[in-house]
Amino acid sequence: MAEHCFRITPTGTPRATILIVPPLFEEANRTRRTLVLAMRALAADGFAALLPDLPGQNESLVPLETVDLASWQDALAEAAATIDGPQIIASLRGGALIDHHPKAATWWRLAPVGGASLLRTLMRARVAADREGGVTSSLDSLQAEAATAPLLLAGNRLSPAMIAQLGSAETQPVARLRTVTLGSGADAIAGTPLWLRAEPGEDAAMAKAIAADIAAWSTACGIS
Amino acid sequence: MTEPDTVDTTLRALLADVLGLGEDRAAALTADSGLFGALPEFDSMAVATVLTEMEDRLGILIDDDEIDGEIFETYGNLLAFSLRKIGE
Repeated sequence: MAEHCFRITPTGTPRATILIVPPLFEEANRTRRTLVLAMRALAADGFAALLPDLPGQNESLVPLETVDLASWQDALAEAAATIDGPQIIASLRGGALIDHHPKAATWWRLAPVGGASLLRTLMRARVAADREGGVTSSLDSLQAEAATAPLLLAGNRLSPAMIAQLGSAETQPVARLRTVTLGSGADAIAGTPLWLRAEPGEDAAMAKAIAADIAAWSTACGIS
Repeated sequence: MTEPDTVDTTLRALLADVLGLGEDRAAALTADSGLFGALPEFDSMAVATVLTEMEDRLGILIDDDEIDGEIFETYGNLLAFSLRKIGE
């Protein structure tokens, strides 16, 4: 079933289409507003910007426990295949773990993170919540449980396949690629790591910086 | 990354990032400032995020059997724990 894809388009033919790959799980909610602000800025600069729902995430009707990283990679490739004209993949955080299948002109990654780090945080949240509830669990006991049955981690019911894939997932090489971090310098943009935030926030200046950096990268790659 | 002042600065910035405290509230934290149970933003997901970020930014590894409720009771406890881990 086709997933919802939020899109903001410029008037006229777009310079290129930016396919945004959101962060995974709760980090997607924490960053969504700022990503959409970046999409608006991109559209004002002549780009089309798409933000697809991954199956099992956001408005998707697919149960999360039926998907894994491999199916997310396929879903993104399908979303990318519908795009006409040059496309740029822009991924955040864990989105960079699933962004390499589309045949894009170029890639842009912000603060990519390994799957093991994401999984460790999710498992720790479960251990901390268990402790509050008077239940003793550990990363080891959860890992053992996850080998045979879906595991509920911070509100996400993840399949054994998803947990196994996350545990070893690394970003894959793509060409051409620009990777930026938060901070200062040539390969950084200024902003706040909203994906870490306990409460959702927004950073309008960072959204503008994201859009400007993607636009400059598009030009540097000779796209437009 | 062994200077206590550097660890203190890193830890305050980290809490500001995760809890959205803003620079002023983060700078105003004292050794007695309550964290888990005192700050509404500090839930179990925030605890988990703080631990992973501590590992990344302080270059330490934290086993889950080292973590008990006391570490997150006050800012002073969290700082002392971080300094001890870095010294190991």
